[in-house]
Amino acid sequence: MKLLGIMLPLLVSLTLLSGCGEKEKFIVYGSPENEKEVETILKEEDYVDKTTVIQYDNSMLVATQIKPWHKWKKTKLEKKLQKKFDEKYPNKEVFVSADYKIFYEANKIKREQVEDNKLKDKIKKLKKLAKEET
Amino acid sequence: MVIVFQSKPSLIAAGVVAGPLEKRSIFSQHFDATYDDERWQMNTNEQGHRKMVEEACEFAMKKAGVKNTDIDYFMGGDLVNQMTPTNFAARDLDIPFIGLFSACATSISSVIVASLLTEAGASNLSLAGASSQHNAVERQFRYPINYGSQKPQTAQWTVTAAGYALIGKHHEEYPSIEAATVGKSVDYGMDDPFHMGAAMAPAAFQTIQSHLEQRNQKIYHYDLILTGDLGQLGLKLLKGMFVESGIKSEELQPLRDAGAEFYGQDETFQSGASGAGCSAAVFFSYVIQQMRAGTYKRVLLVATGALLSPLTFQQGETIPCTAHAIEITMK
Amino acid sequence: MEKEQYQQLEQNVTPKPPYFKNVAKAFLVGGLICTIGQAVSLFYIIFFDFTEATAGNPTVSTMIFFAMILTGFGLYKKIGQIAGAGSAVPVTGFGNAVISAAIEHRSEGLVLGVGGNLFKLAGSVVLFGVVSAFFIALIKFILVSIGVVSW
Repeated sequence: MKLLGIMLPLLVSLTLLSGCGEKEKFIVYGSPENEKEVETILKEEDYVDKTTVIQYDNSMLVATQIKPWHKWKKTKLEKKLQKKFDEKYPNKEVFVSADYKIFYEANKIKREQVEDNKLKDKIKKLKKLAKEET
Repeated sequence: MVIVFQSKPSLIAAGVVAGPLEKRSIFSQHFDATYDDERWQMNTNEQGHRKMVEEACEFAMKKAGVKNTDIDYFMGGDLVNQMTPTNFAARDLDIPFIGLFSACATSISSVIVASLLTEAGASNLSLAGASSQHNAVERQFRYPINYGSQKPQTAQWTVTAAGYALIGKHHEEYPSIEAATVGKSVDYGMDDPFHMGAAMAPAAFQTIQSHLEQRNQKIYHYDLILTGDLGQLGLKLLKGMFVESGIKSEELQPLRDAGAEFYGQDETFQSGASGAGCSAAVFFSYVIQQMRAGTYKRVLLVATGALLSPLTFQQGETIPCTAHAIEITMK
Repeated sequence: MEKEQYQQLEQNVTPKPPYFKNVAKAFLVGGLICTIGQAVSLFYIIFFDFTEATAGNPTVSTMIFFAMILTGFGLYKKIGQIAGAGSAVPVTGFGNAVISAAIEHRSEGLVLGVGGNLFKLAGSVVLFGVVSAFFIALIKFILVSIGVVSW
């Protein structure tokens, strides 16, 4: 009985956490330019779980989530992905982040259909946040 | 080693007070009072400890109808450094005082000294006993009270209680002390401070055995042989030692332990109760009352004490233990 | 009875600690504490401007705050008796060690009592944490220098 009392809240919280995870693996917001190409780039990398890409003007925000066991090397993989995008689109300003905060906010932008100046401000703020150290 | 008292000093009266958790004790109905505040409305645990000693003594004096000026000696001890709670209680009681330390066996060693003083004619009335306060003792020997460490099944719970008895000249209607055995300091190489029962059981065994031998008695001569705070495991070990020495387990019927019975079967207290207050509270309430009611005619009280300090076990020393016994009879 | 003989008897009578049960309980309670920590961390990420990298600090403070409340009400020792390492290893256990010492020594005054004894239990955790961090960093530095791994 005692054990059950410990187990129950644990199981409930586990199901709650996993319940909200099942969405599309790849989302693009903004101009649909290069959509297929970006998707193939990301598919080549087996450690990428879900990605939301926001495209505007000449910039691209790649907010990605890395699969659990690969998360140990999160910063390294983030850098690797950044390099790959930089090489592929040398004329574009690409920003890659594997941070959950950036991913969450990117999805929020898509959900709320944020546009133009507001979008630029928001992305600028996110970039600043992502560079913040502890 | 055995002392036979020719004058048979009597236990005239006794006072036992205990803390809030001790309400759950199966002996609680025998106590004179239990308090909801383990600090006795004082500021610190140690002050509460002192107050508890004073109240136990006052109960004993009130029952006998005497004042502190009628008492010749006050003897006792506790487990706090330098026994300050008892020392400070002695200051307020204003009675000539000898502090005694035999760890949890102080409840009996003080009675032995009081009986000797009575026998020698130096004392008409003496107060003797011991006490322990859970918080004050735990913080000294182990961890802070609220620290979340896991205690093993072998651990025992220090009780908050004080028991003091008034010892005077022989009276027929009171239980009388016939003989006493002062125990050696026994070390069987046990070194786990969370398994005191195992460390103390050999000391109890030796004291009981030598008392019986020298008094030319057998276990069946006693209605009750009550050890102080061996706990459930310690009692099992003590019985095991008797069995290995060639005594049948059916003959061990009178052998009981106050610490093992103190909190009943409550598992939160693991192996049972311990502390100087445990033996003092049970000996000077339950046992004396049962003797006066005539349930028991001859009783051997054996208080056991582990003579360690936090320093010695951190330095890797084993735990020497002692046990003192008194033989009480009722006509 | 001889010492060896008694030690044999003691071994037979003393129950073995239920290791498997203890490990299971420690896993469940420890996991529960960490799940709560994860929830607090997500709360800070979603509702405030914290990233995964920066949410650590407020999360730790919040968890220690919870530990403080539980310790103050005397509940943490009850959790500790059930969970053992499960509640001692997470940061809440560290908080409990500090806070319980502070409560305990309150009666000896603020400077000599609380101040002098605050790290009575947690002090060795801090010391050996720093020392082992130093040696791990040193080992990694050497490995990087000779080219076995990269930063």
